[in-house]
Amino acid sequence: MADKAFLVDTTKCQGCRACQVACKQWNGNPGQETKFFEGTEFTNPKELSAITWNHVRFSELDRSIPERPVWSIRHTKCYHCNEANCLRVCPVKAISKEDGWTVIDQNKCIGCGACVEACIYKVPHIADQAYEGYKSIKKDKSHKCHACVKNPREIPACAFACPSGALTYGERLKVIKEAEKRLEGYKKDFAEASIYGKEQFGGLHVITILKYKPEKFGLEVAPKPVDMTKVEAVNDLYALMSLFTFGLTPLKRSAYKLAKSMVSREKLS
Amino acid sequence: MTNHWIDIQHADVIMIIGSNAAENHPISFKWVQEARNKGGKLISVDPRFTRSSSISDLYSPIRPGTDIAFMNGIINYALQNDRIQKEYVVEYTNAAFLVDPKFGFRNGLFTGYDAGKRKYDKKNWGYQLDDKGIPKMDKTLKDPNCVYQLLKKHVARYTPEKVSAITGSPKDVYLKIAELYTSTHKPDKVATIMYAMGTTQHTVGTQNIRTYAMLQLLMGNVGMAGGGINALRGESNVQGSTDHCLLWHILPGYLGIPKTQKDVNLDAYIKNNTPKTNDPMSANWWQHKPKYLISLLKAFYGDAATKENDFGYDWIPKASKPYPHIVLFEDMYKGMHKGGIFMGQNPVVGGPNANKEAKALERLDWLVCADLWETDTSIFWKRPGANPKSIKTEVFMLPMASSVEKEGSIVNSGRWAQWRYMAVEPPGEAKSDLWLIDKLFKEVRRLYEADVKAGKKVALPDPILKAYWNFTHEGEDEPDPHTVAKEINGFDWKSKELVQNFTKLKDDGSTASGNWLYSGSYNDDGNMMARRSQKDAPNGLGMYPEWSWTWPVNRRIIYNRASVNRKGEPWNKDKAVIKWTGSKWVGDVPDGGWPPDKKNPFIMIPEGVGRLYATGLADGPLPEHYEPMESPTKNIMNTQKLNPATVILPGTKFGASAQYPYVATTYRVTEHWQAGAMTRNLPWLTELVPDMFCEISPELAKKKGIKNGDKVQIISKRGNIEAFALVTKRVQAWNVNGKKVEMVGMIWHFGHGCAVSGDSCNQLTPHIGDANTMIPEYKAFLVDIKKV
Repeated sequence: MADKAFLVDTTKCQGCRACQVACKQWNGNPGQETKFFEGTEFTNPKELSAITWNHVRFSELDRSIPERPVWSIRHTKCYHCNEANCLRVCPVKAISKEDGWTVIDQNKCIGCGACVEACIYKVPHIADQAYEGYKSIKKDKSHKCHACVKNPREIPACAFACPSGALTYGERLKVIKEAEKRLEGYKKDFAEASIYGKEQFGGLHVITILKYKPEKFGLEVAPKPVDMTKVEAVNDLYALMSLFTFGLTPLKRSAYKLAKSMVSREKLS
Repeated sequence: MTNHWIDIQHADVIMIIGSNAAENHPISFKWVQEARNKGGKLISVDPRFTRSSSISDLYSPIRPGTDIAFMNGIINYALQNDRIQKEYVVEYTNAAFLVDPKFGFRNGLFTGYDAGKRKYDKKNWGYQLDDKGIPKMDKTLKDPNCVYQLLKKHVARYTPEKVSAITGSPKDVYLKIAELYTSTHKPDKVATIMYAMGTTQHTVGTQNIRTYAMLQLLMGNVGMAGGGINALRGESNVQGSTDHCLLWHILPGYLGIPKTQKDVNLDAYIKNNTPKTNDPMSANWWQHKPKYLISLLKAFYGDAATKENDFGYDWIPKASKPYPHIVLFEDMYKGMHKGGIFMGQNPVVGGPNANKEAKALERLDWLVCADLWETDTSIFWKRPGANPKSIKTEVFMLPMASSVEKEGSIVNSGRWAQWRYMAVEPPGEAKSDLWLIDKLFKEVRRLYEADVKAGKKVALPDPILKAYWNFTHEGEDEPDPHTVAKEINGFDWKSKELVQNFTKLKDDGSTASGNWLYSGSYNDDGNMMARRSQKDAPNGLGMYPEWSWTWPVNRRIIYNRASVNRKGEPWNKDKAVIKWTGSKWVGDVPDGGWPPDKKNPFIMIPEGVGRLYATGLADGPLPEHYEPMESPTKNIMNTQKLNPATVILPGTKFGASAQYPYVATTYRVTEHWQAGAMTRNLPWLTELVPDMFCEISPELAKKKGIKNGDKVQIISKRGNIEAFALVTKRVQAWNVNGKKVEMVGMIWHFGHGCAVSGDSCNQLTPHIGDANTMIPEYKAFLVDIKKV
């Protein structure tokens, strides 16, 4: 199966948020209780969470060109890094790759939060509660976008719902080619337009065309992968300690935290 | 829409004005984007920078209520710079027609104004006629009394400087828009206008739309693929309900409502309402009106409708005065109505001056609310501030089936009637609208029959007792929507055979049809609305003629005879809607089969051509700028402030800018639907927009000490509400007549009846409407704002 990817073209995004709703509808996630707007402009909730796996961020309007102000509206979700920090740090191998997509198995997940901490994009989140009527969300487990591989469908729900062509889905190499082709055309209107996701973490499975440079959106151009010596030290120690947790998840969680703090202390000294 | 959604992709220029398609018609943007992918340019004109503006190539702010100045200025630019499609204008509009020399315009008033009545006597507005009774023309367009010269003189006053001072559109941006838009005057270039309630909901709403139509005629854009005038309908079946006479002023199929004083019998109605022409070039399609009315009466009254009794004409309601929404509620407020049935209506949230309208409901003896959920209106008796103990209205809440829980047709903005099947049974006791109306009618008739039988004196029994009503099959409880659809299509009364289309309808009582416009939608070829072939027409323009059915007679682009020259050759060969082969038309269903040189293209108008000058309007044949009822400034175009023909109802309250300095307007967001009953109960949507909010500029916020997310109070002459303040750079003060004018924009989805609640902004909006339609002026009024 050819490697797939999403193409997020922010020059075409009209901010309707059909993607955010379609994700919840298809995956059976609860709505988040919000007040007013918790992020900039219409952004709601403020960021991704255990129950909000895909999210539209509105930035402030840039009025420096009076007849053509620029409003950046950006669909975000898990980037599905080829070399995913979350996958590499998980002490119980609950995170794996399925057809290139990074997927968390909540049955294996111990809710230790290693993935939450390792993801520079702040994607996975541990659910702090269960929700009546919504089986997809498990308390004390890590959750995030799985590109609909757990609820399979031909085109993932978010991309299927997009009315404007801002969010599409296809073979990764073709997606990159298309993005590069479009970028050329956009330079005329957006001098600083850029593509994000070609190289970061061995290549992302979400390729985003931005109206400005990535840094403007807090996106690191050359992010460093997680320090594997430290990760291995923590995970080795955890493996040892977990023998004494009697298969109980809360104890496993504590064991992980303990292992981590021990390694940190060791490093410091 | 003259055109349809898919057709937007063919536009070279799209102007979104008075609408916010990206937010309120998100799917339409698929086609806007498609046009842009092909090199098309998008212009967004809006009081604030919206999600539609975020995709646009040119954006201009506009002060609410100043569209006429904006568009007249572009028309002026086109005429001054000769950027019009000359051949189209001369041949297919009334530009060359000569107007009565007694017609004139002074101080913002056209000839014949009666200030006491706030009305025009139009006797000097007509054309000069020749001895055959045909309007005289000067095709050189030089005669000072020709429409072209009158228009040119009228709009010459709308200089870019004046327009900028009125609208707040910066002059340089404005000129860029004028230049880009008028680039479509070339025969093979086309622009489209997408508009909605931002255009219509003004005291000058009808004239606003006129300016769009006039500009499109001057550009030669009407009838063309990618052109036309495109009203984006605010609800999924508003087009259908309007076609079937939701509004007070029409019978089904846009037959004018009979007037009590004038249309005293069938002959009088026909005489007063059927346009005539002596021009052999005019098809004058409305000459067939008697056939449509009499077939409609036959559908209403069946065998009881005979030539001798005017086919039951006396039994249909007549209008003794206008009965639009505002008047209905003013009368209700005065205690003139006993009861009300509200189906899918929520005026406590959506009605103008909603406090007054909620108060009016208290004067009803009974109220029936038929809806999917409990609406704010159905619980008006326990709204904030009301005392339930003192309200005597008996309220009935009837649960109704949603669109997927019943079968029937739905008509989109592009006039496509699409048949839908029932997907699931309605929950609980919920019933279809058809079931409710069928049962209600039969019960009312039973009561009438019983009274008549008992010898009681009954007022006006005939309309009920003589009605032809057979929508339910023997032994069934649910009426059959197919039977209704077939009656709408029409049939031969004796044989009951379906007619092919409206050309088969007669004025002798031998045919019945519930709506001539839909005749052809369900005939011997079957239920045309249920068709789902994805085969395109040979012209390849995405018309999909075998997908659903479009009124009239499956014509996808109306006035399409204007897309070709007098020889029948398309102005744009690459996007040919129709063309004449020498013996027949190919492409879309043409506006009549006559050869191109034998009839004029605008077949619904007795002149046969598009009207740059139109005498049918209450407020003048040419659009003129007047300020909204509540305005922050004087009118710099003339000495009239308000539209002189707008009706001011007694007892209505208006505020002045000294006390209410900010211009308020109302709008919707993607995340909610209309009055909110359908969306304020859905957690996925309330996550996105959980609260009532207003939008203000950072400058106004600073002045008032308001921070983003603060609770504010917004006050108008009619009420005050609370809302959260979204402080945003997308809102900016307009420079109006040398003064900065700030705006308070509000969403109108909130009320107090659902899972998430908030104040309705319509507690602030006024009871005044358009001079022609009385649609309320929701979009421009005055408020003050302060931090709570």
